[in-house]
Amino acid sequence: MNTRSRPEIETVNTSSAEMRAPDSDWSVLMARGQDGDAESYRRLLAGITPYLRSLARRFGLAGPDLEDAVQDVLLTLHQIRHTYDPARPFAPWLTAVARHRLLDRLRRRVRQFGRETALTEAHETFIAVETNLSETAGDAGRLRAAIAQLPEGQRSAVEMLKLKEMSLKEASAQSGQSETALKVAVHRAIKRLRVILGDE
Amino acid sequence: MSTTESLIDRLASGLQPVKRLGRPWLRAALWIGFATLLIAILVLLRGFRADIAECLREPGYLIPLAGAWLTGATAALAAFEVSLPDRARAWLLLPLPAVALWVTGFAYGCLKDWIEIPAGAPVAADSVRCLTTIILATVALIAVLLPMLRRAKTLRPNLTAWMGILAVAGFADTAHLLIHMVQASLLVLVINLVPALAIVLLGGLAGRRAVAA
Repeated sequence: MNTRSRPEIETVNTSSAEMRAPDSDWSVLMARGQDGDAESYRRLLAGITPYLRSLARRFGLAGPDLEDAVQDVLLTLHQIRHTYDPARPFAPWLTAVARHRLLDRLRRRVRQFGRETALTEAHETFIAVETNLSETAGDAGRLRAAIAQLPEGQRSAVEMLKLKEMSLKEASAQSGQSETALKVAVHRAIKRLRVILGDE
Repeated sequence: MSTTESLIDRLASGLQPVKRLGRPWLRAALWIGFATLLIAILVLLRGFRADIAECLREPGYLIPLAGAWLTGATAALAAFEVSLPDRARAWLLLPLPAVALWVTGFAYGCLKDWIEIPAGAPVAADSVRCLTTIILATVALIAVLLPMLRRAKTLRPNLTAWMGILAVAGFADTAHLLIHMVQASLLVLVINLVPALAIVLLGGLAGRRAVAA
């Protein structure tokens, strides 16, 4: 077991009780993890997470982006865990993996920001006239006209269950119809509406 | 439970034992051994160049020959080292002295051919034979090296690919220098640099992960 990595780790986070326990050295936990010891591996990942968060913060990450970056590093570590040599210190290996992933993320962000422009209110529409028409004058008006063409039972079922958003129980109590009859009526109404709106 | 904690639980609960990667110098030594054996087989199949006895007394031949073999060996070691995340990039400098030795062969070879090859000499026929030697060696060396490097699932695919292809070029030219009389060190380097460039370009577009893992 190599203990050269300890001071470097402890300057970042000394609060974890796990880190102070002699049998919990990260190198040992990682070696056990490589052998398939799930509990040691879980302790290792939980133990290094605060360190990874602190490292990600130093790279200027915060909030959900920071947590995504930490998870990205954990996944990478998991995928290449066979490349760790237990005869060597663990912290430099971990830091190198994390730095690769965090730098990749920063590069992606820089590329993304280089291509994208923040939208202002002026961008929120298109030149074509029809894109600026009010919805009520278009689709909603057509839908109302189509509903009006439905037979009475289907129309009232749609109005209660879809437009007024009543529950089946409430609609059944108000109309006196069974819940099954209401379901069938709505199903048929929607089929009919598709035909009406599709034909126009 | 946060997503990170649940990810940790998921990774730990499905944990399988893994076979640790061997030491990079050991893996490099294995490949260098294979490459040297391949050169020996090619020499056995095709025979030494006709003037080998004379050449072995000439520093102008021995220096590029040693340079080519050392380039192959040092670049292979550098490739296996830089494929690991915690190894210094300084490993990339390791092949430089050997490359310098090898490069002396380019100028020497070009100058020698320019002076010595008489008009009407069957250079083209020998060039085709030497090209097939180079291609054969290159394909065999890459076929073994690529899976070995991919095992590292490297986070530095471009640097690893470059070092790997330099190693292949060095050994392919060693075979060529021992078998053929036309000095084509530059040809070997170009032939090997084209796939290297292709690998790096493809890596930049879509194949970066493919080279890495």
